[in-house]
Amino acid sequence: MTLTKVLSDALDSGINQIGQLRILRGPLRLHHIDDVNLDSLEVHTDPDDAREISLYTSDGKYRFTKGELSLKTGWIFILDSVEALRRAIDLFYPASLGLWNASQNNEIRVQNLRDKLNRQTGMYRHARNVSDEGIQKLVKCLCGPSNKCVKKILWEIDETTPLEDSEASRFDGIVGDIEMTTAIPMVCQEACNFFVAQSRKKAKKEFEAREQ
Amino acid sequence: MREAFYMIDADEVYVVPDFISEGYFTQEVIPRELSLTGPTTEVHGKTIHYCDPVGIHPSMTSLILQRIDEVAPGVPQEESTLFIVGHGTGLNKNSTKAVKDQVDHIKTLPNCRFADVIDTYMEEPPFIADWGKLAKTPYAIVVPFFIADGLHSYQDIPMMLGFEKEEGLAASQKEVFRRNPYHLQDKTLYYSAAIGMEPMMADVILDQISTFDAQNDAH
Repeated sequence: MTLTKVLSDALDSGINQIGQLRILRGPLRLHHIDDVNLDSLEVHTDPDDAREISLYTSDGKYRFTKGELSLKTGWIFILDSVEALRRAIDLFYPASLGLWNASQNNEIRVQNLRDKLNRQTGMYRHARNVSDEGIQKLVKCLCGPSNKCVKKILWEIDETTPLEDSEASRFDGIVGDIEMTTAIPMVCQEACNFFVAQSRKKAKKEFEAREQ
Repeated sequence: MREAFYMIDADEVYVVPDFISEGYFTQEVIPRELSLTGPTTEVHGKTIHYCDPVGIHPSMTSLILQRIDEVAPGVPQEESTLFIVGHGTGLNKNSTKAVKDQVDHIKTLPNCRFADVIDTYMEEPPFIADWGKLAKTPYAIVVPFFIADGLHSYQDIPMMLGFEKEEGLAASQKEVFRRNPYHLQDKTLYYSAAIGMEPMMADVILDQISTFDAQNDAH
């Protein structure tokens, strides 16, 4: 089944939100969940405009990861097909539909953090030296909505070491207090490159602390 | 990058690295991240064809020539030295190969009228900083062989050429490409944006796929 059909079926089942995006039907529209007065929004009809809109926050800061909980408001897409809607969603949140579909079908390839860190080479090979304790701290200060990440963490440190309970590890990938059946959760199958980079820094700090 | 497979319906996928040369990322990191073991790999039920990076495709030569026409229109090539600038590094000899190949291609073109075509680098000889000594002609045209404009093309190379200082505006606001020509060292110098900024790069990506198919008999 194509992802366009998956999305179409999801809309039929009552889903109307993904990340910070609200989907309206008849006609098909897409806007920020925080925008209420739809008449005042800048209208877009080309789904490719999503690429530009998603680059910067409202105050002009570069969004270095698309999963950042900082999508700017003030725009609305009026789209002529579910295919176009899929295109726009994939530009706002790359692979989010596919990852959700794979997780629904138990086909998602979750990679635990140790496996991710252990396969790093070059300057990032040192990231593997970070301690479990250091990782648990990093999750709490980098992941989850408090740290502006919109994704539900699916990975653990390794097979026998789960993430400690925290707002970040509990987050279900759905923004706002809404009925779960009306939203597509954003999922994190493996730690992002930012997390790897921060793991490297943490490992360096831990090493320096031991040397002192 | 590893998540990209999830958003593709197609069973057959071509991966074209948007890199200017072969090196650590194209030979090690991308294959590792995408679980590729050769030119064609079956990964998670899809057939993945791994193409060469865009920068080493022969059609980059016509991109360079087009860029020269845009940057230095009407400049007599017989009185010009063309510099193609790469990064250069002692760590990987492949990083200079793409630049040397382009120089060789341009020199052997039947309609090449440049007095000289020289490969130069930021961090290994021949250094672009020595352009004034290397050029024996009244005109010099400089094309950075980089995939995108950034600190190197906005600031580092202009400083090495001698028309930009480190202080002042943010690198991206210096408009170094819009102030041609520069009059330096008794020569007239024309400076181009990074070659990868050329819109025709999209065609080179498709060319790289065609080349892959021709070489690997994919279809």
